[in-house]
Amino acid sequence: MIQVTGLTRRFGDLTAVSDLTFSVKEGEIVGFLGPNGAGKTTTMNMLTGCLRATAGTVCVDGADIETDADRARRIIGYLPENPPLYPDMTVEEYLRFVFRLKKCTLPRGEHLDSVCAMAGLSDVRGRLIRNLSRGYRQRVGLAQALIGDPKVLILDEPTIGLDPRQIIELREVIRRLGERHTVILSSHILSEVQEVCDRVLVLHHGRIAADGTPAQLRARAAQTEQLGMTIEGEPQAVLAVLRAVPGVTDAALSDENGKKSVYHITAEPDTDIRRAVFNALSQHSMVILSMQQVERSLEDIFLALTETEDTADAAQPERLPHKKKFPWFGRKRGGDQ
Amino acid sequence: MIAVFRRDMQGFFRSPLGYVYIGAFLAIMNLYFFATCVLASSSDVGSVFSNMLIVFLFLMPILTMRLFSEEYKQGTDRLLLTAPVSVWEIVGGKFFAAVGVLLTALLCTLPWIGIIALFGTPAWADILGCYIAVLCASAVFAAMGLFLSSLTESQLIAAVLSFALFLGLYVADMLSYSMDSSRLPGRLLSWLSIFTRYDSFMSGQFSLGNLIYFLSLTGLFLFFTARVLERRRL
Repeated sequence: MIQVTGLTRRFGDLTAVSDLTFSVKEGEIVGFLGPNGAGKTTTMNMLTGCLRATAGTVCVDGADIETDADRARRIIGYLPENPPLYPDMTVEEYLRFVFRLKKCTLPRGEHLDSVCAMAGLSDVRGRLIRNLSRGYRQRVGLAQALIGDPKVLILDEPTIGLDPRQIIELREVIRRLGERHTVILSSHILSEVQEVCDRVLVLHHGRIAADGTPAQLRARAAQTEQLGMTIEGEPQAVLAVLRAVPGVTDAALSDENGKKSVYHITAEPDTDIRRAVFNALSQHSMVILSMQQVERSLEDIFLALTETEDTADAAQPERLPHKKKFPWFGRKRGGDQ
Repeated sequence: MIAVFRRDMQGFFRSPLGYVYIGAFLAIMNLYFFATCVLASSSDVGSVFSNMLIVFLFLMPILTMRLFSEEYKQGTDRLLLTAPVSVWEIVGGKFFAAVGVLLTALLCTLPWIGIIALFGTPAWADILGCYIAVLCASAVFAAMGLFLSSLTESQLIAAVLSFALFLGLYVADMLSYSMDSSRLPGRLLSWLSIFTRYDSFMSGQFSLGNLIYFLSLTGLFLFFTARVLERRRL
C-alpha cells in the first residue's frame, strides 16, 4: 500500500531523516516509535506531501506523492500533531468545509454522519471548535482525516494531550479503523504502540533502528539471555565461578547482600546457560537460592536500541528544526520532530 | 478553489471585523460623496472614486493580513497543503475571497448612483469605468497584501509590511510628479505608478493598457504567492 524508498530529508546541515526504506501492507497498523527529535513528524510530513523529500520516493497505492500528488492525496487522510482546526467554525461547518476541500463525491449527509459517529462527535456537531476541549478537538482532527474515506490514515501523536480515559477510547477507535484502513501512527509511548500496532518501526536519529511486530522486537531482545540469580557464597568467589562458565559473557553483582547476594548474568545469544551455571555452582558447593530468566520489556529494548545508536552517531544533533528552512530558527524554538 | 473561497469569505463575516470594516469604509466614502457630490450638486463621481483608492490603501492590509498568516499560526496550512488541491486553487480562493469583500463594499456604494439618477443625469460610461478601475486597482493591492501575508506567521507583520509597501507606492507616485517627466527615471516612475494610471481612469479615459497593467501586476503577485507556498514545502 505504501512504498517508501531511500527517503531522506535534510534541513541545512542537519539530516532529520536519512535513507528510510520500508513498505506498509494494506490493512496494517504501523507505529513509528522514537524519542522526540527522531524524525517521526518529518517522515509523516513527507509521506503526506506536506514536506518535500531531499531524496527518495513515497508511493501510495501506486501513486507517487510528488508526480501524482492529486491522486495520492485523495488516498491519504492526515492528522498532524496539532489538529488543523479553524476555531471560529462549528464542527459541522468545519467538516463540510473539509468535505468540499477534499472534493469528496460520497453522499455528504450520510458520510458526515458516519464520520462523526466514528470519531464520537455526534453530540457536539453544532458547537464552535473554539469552545471544545482538547480531547474533542483531537477527535475533530481525526474526523477531518477520515473524510473522503481515505485508504491510508496517517496520525501524528494522536493521543498526545489526552487524559487516560480518552487515550483508551481513541486507541479503541484506531483499532476499529485498522479493520478498514491502513494506519500509520507515531508515538513516543511504547505501551500504546505495543497495544494498537501490528508492526513497529523504531526510528532514531532519522533511521530505522528496528522493524518488526511488538512480539518480534521483544524476542529480538530476548536473544541475549539474561539471568537474575540469588546465590549463597562469597561474592568474589561466586563471580569468578560464574565468569568461568562457558557461554557467559558477563556476570555482575546487582544487589550485594553479604553471602546471599543477587547476581545479573548475561550470556551469548541463543544459549541456555542455566544448566551449565547450575553444574558449575554445585561443583563449588554454592547454593542457588533463586534463578529466573530476565525478559526484557519493550522499554528496555527501546532504550537499548536508541542508546547504541546514540553512541554510534554521537555527532548527530539531538534536536532537529521543524519545517523551517533555516536551522537556527528551529533550534531556537527547540522544534520537536 | 470554491471551498477555500467560501471559507475565507464566511470567515470574514463570521467575526465583527467584516461588518466594522465595511462600515468604516462606507462611513468615510459617504462623507466624501456627501461633500463632493451632494453639497456641490455635482454628478461627477470620479472625484469620489479617486479618493477611494487611498481609503483602500489603508483598509486593504487589514483585509489581507490574516489570509495566510492565520493559517500558518493555526497549523491549518497543513490541511490545505495535503488536500487534493493545487497551490493555485488555494491562492485563487483566498484572493477572490478578498476581492469578494471589496466587491461587497463597492456594492454598498450603489445607492449613490441612485441618488445621482434621481436628481441629475449620471454619466453611465464614466461610472462603470470608475467601478472597474477601482476594482482592478484594489485587486493589485489585494494580491500584494496576500503575498506579504504568505511570508509570515504574524498578522501584525503582514499588515505593517503591506502598509509600508502601499504607502511606499503612494510616495513614489507623489515623487513622480516632482520629477522631470521628460527624463527616464521620472517617466518610469509615473509609468509604474498605480495611482497615476488609476487617475487617468477617473478623468474619464478608458485605457486598455492600464487595465492590462493592473491585471498583470495582480497576476504577478499571485504567482509570487503560489511560489512562496511551494517553497514552504522545501
